[in-house]
Amino acid sequence: MMIFAMRLRGALNGVKTNPGRYVFVFGFLALVYWATFAMTRRAVRFLYSYEVVDTIDLASAIAQRSLEALFIILMLGVAFSVLTTAITTLYSSEDLPFLLSLPVPAVQVFYLKVTETYLNAALLPAIFTLPVLVGVGLELGAAPSYYVISLAAVLALYAIPVAIGGFLSLLLMRVAPAGRVKEASTALSVVLAAGLIFGLRALRPEQIADLSPEQFRIFLERYASFEVGWLPPSWASQAVWSAIGGDVSAGAYFLALLSLLLLWMMARFAAFAYREGWVRSLESGTPKLDPTVRPAAWWERLFRPLGRTGSIIVKDIRLLVRDPTQWSQLLVLVALAGVYLVSVGSVQVELQRFRDVLGTLNLMFLGFLLAGVGVRTAYPIVSLEGEGFWMLRTGPLSSTSIVMSKFWNALPVMAILGFGLGYTAARLIDVSPTLAFVSPIAGLSAAIVTTGLGIGLGAAFPRFDATNPSEIPLSPGGLLYMTLSLAYATLMTLVLAWPAWQTLRRPGEFYWSQPEGLVLLGLITLLTLLVTVLPLLLGSRRLAQYEPGS
Amino acid sequence: MIEVHDLAKRYGRIEAVRGVSFTAYPGEVLGLLGPNGAGKSTTIKAITGLIRPTRGRVSLAGYDVVKESVAAKTHLGYVPDRPYLYQKLTGRELLRFLSQLRQVEDGAAKAQKWLEFFSLQDFANELIETYSHGMRQKLTFIAALLHDPKVLIIDEPMVGLDPRASKQVRQLMIDYADKGNTVLLTTHSMEVAEAVADRVIVVSKGAIAGEGDLEALRQQTGEGNLEEIFMRLTEEASQTRASEQEPTPA
Repeated sequence: MMIFAMRLRGALNGVKTNPGRYVFVFGFLALVYWATFAMTRRAVRFLYSYEVVDTIDLASAIAQRSLEALFIILMLGVAFSVLTTAITTLYSSEDLPFLLSLPVPAVQVFYLKVTETYLNAALLPAIFTLPVLVGVGLELGAAPSYYVISLAAVLALYAIPVAIGGFLSLLLMRVAPAGRVKEASTALSVVLAAGLIFGLRALRPEQIADLSPEQFRIFLERYASFEVGWLPPSWASQAVWSAIGGDVSAGAYFLALLSLLLLWMMARFAAFAYREGWVRSLESGTPKLDPTVRPAAWWERLFRPLGRTGSIIVKDIRLLVRDPTQWSQLLVLVALAGVYLVSVGSVQVELQRFRDVLGTLNLMFLGFLLAGVGVRTAYPIVSLEGEGFWMLRTGPLSSTSIVMSKFWNALPVMAILGFGLGYTAARLIDVSPTLAFVSPIAGLSAAIVTTGLGIGLGAAFPRFDATNPSEIPLSPGGLLYMTLSLAYATLMTLVLAWPAWQTLRRPGEFYWSQPEGLVLLGLITLLTLLVTVLPLLLGSRRLAQYEPGS
Repeated sequence: MIEVHDLAKRYGRIEAVRGVSFTAYPGEVLGLLGPNGAGKSTTIKAITGLIRPTRGRVSLAGYDVVKESVAAKTHLGYVPDRPYLYQKLTGRELLRFLSQLRQVEDGAAKAQKWLEFFSLQDFANELIETYSHGMRQKLTFIAALLHDPKVLIIDEPMVGLDPRASKQVRQLMIDYADKGNTVLLTTHSMEVAEAVADRVIVVSKGAIAGEGDLEALRQQTGEGNLEEIFMRLTEEASQTRASEQEPTPA
């Protein structure tokens, strides 16, 4: 308990030191909580009043299956993130040697570490589940005990993947090459997560829209009677559903028992493994003796004409390729692009004018997609300098040079993606020539702007202390980036709605060959440059004023 | 040459450095000494351009660190107290990157020369993440010396170095200053300061408590060795500061 109290004190001191960041995080969570809660209530109300679902039992079964599906997805999410978390908190955390030197049994230290692992991996999914449970409870008039039982069921449910992930991480430490366990676990987690995203999208839920009312009713009945088997997610949903009427189901007891048992075993096993020196993969590899004077690689020389910018790009490419926490972000990018193309490709519209309307709206979605990619690629780049930023800062280059070298580094990938997706989407939707011409241009414009916004705001709000690239956008700067990127995508769609409208009115004409079209292209170029350059200037100015520890 | 004039740095209500002025001349090793929290690191960070002074002016080799930062930093070599380097680069790749960044002519040959000097040539093709603390410290020294800077600033030079490397670094600082360069070092080791510094500045509570060569400081304090001088000066500074902060009777 003393160790727990010490950690709690540390956390509270952290809040006092940097209250702004915590206010932002809690504010953001409150917003998400409210939105999820409101949507859940609406969904439940709709389900119980929907005319196709003519019995309460069916509605109840559908709601229960949906809850199970949510539990499974969030459990998988916990399972994918827990590998890296478990290694970091259980074995490589900086306070572990200190804690183990205290006059308390080692296993007690590992109870604390297991709790930490659990909180780090499962707290966020639990927070996201909570408004769903509260929404369901309020809408269905649940008994007061429901709120306690359902919360306990969810907490117990997410303990299972945490414990399994903990055991897996130990296995990984036995088999991964020395010093490479974190890389291996990060890569594995991200590959699995990207697979999950793509897999979920591959189910193509939009097919439901093509069903007739009768087919839809049959689909709902099958869905309602679908059982995942007597497994933890169904125990949890049973526990939640029984608790609405004030009962405690057998599943609730099983769940509580299993999760406590697994967490207890995990702590004992982790203590044993640490004591027995199983964690060899955490040790750095021994440097090999190799006095060869290796020259620059051939590809490195290609960047020489770019001078200092080129040398920074070469360095960043090397770090990207060698650091799984960085290159794994690209997998998420590929998964997002894949999901986008699958979605666009699945759209079947007969009439040309509807295809054109869809093509115009698609430009906004493309902008949103690029904003999502930029937040993982462009925005973190400056912060990825990390603690090594002093080398650039004390070097003979201005903050503008640093910011611009990062911009040129991120732009090619973003530009290829924006242009390529814009071009491919226009072909897949089969829009008319006016929109087919401007679609890749709009994609390119969104790519340039999101890169400028990402690098500029990333430099204006750097987080050199972040341990993982995915943490970097979780800041007011990241939120500002997302807001402005989405606003730009909306603005660009509104601007391009005019040529789209002209195409609908005069289908045969190619708008961009007319003087008005050329003026509009010029305006789009100007807008792109303006919205790109301004954040870069801001970032450069703020980076020059940046002070370590500020 | 390093010129620091009336340097002050305030963090909110705390004034970490209060009007510090000094000059480090070419050909000189200047030691900046002081207890923990005296303001040494803040002074060093202001000189290297890592932080902006609240008041005052700093110039390196005649260039203002704030107004002509790029020109000033061209002549700067810096060894920080904690050698954070890019973990996923090899030692040689890091030195190549820094040579290109600083536009060093014949950077590869110079890097090899320094790698051999610090006996790191056998490890230069390995990732920095596999290096020990001492190896990283040596690599940081090489990174600072690669472009033959006129001003070398070293924050706690001996941390993590083995006795052989420590001796090498001491001699290196003396030899480097003898070539007409300026070396500024901060250290908690009186032994190191006494061995290499031509002159020392003792900082306490954000202000200079004493300045001069060892002989001048002996005369000023009446103490024998640098450790006793240091203790006397920092105690006096603490007392002076405490009396300054006492409320004046109405």
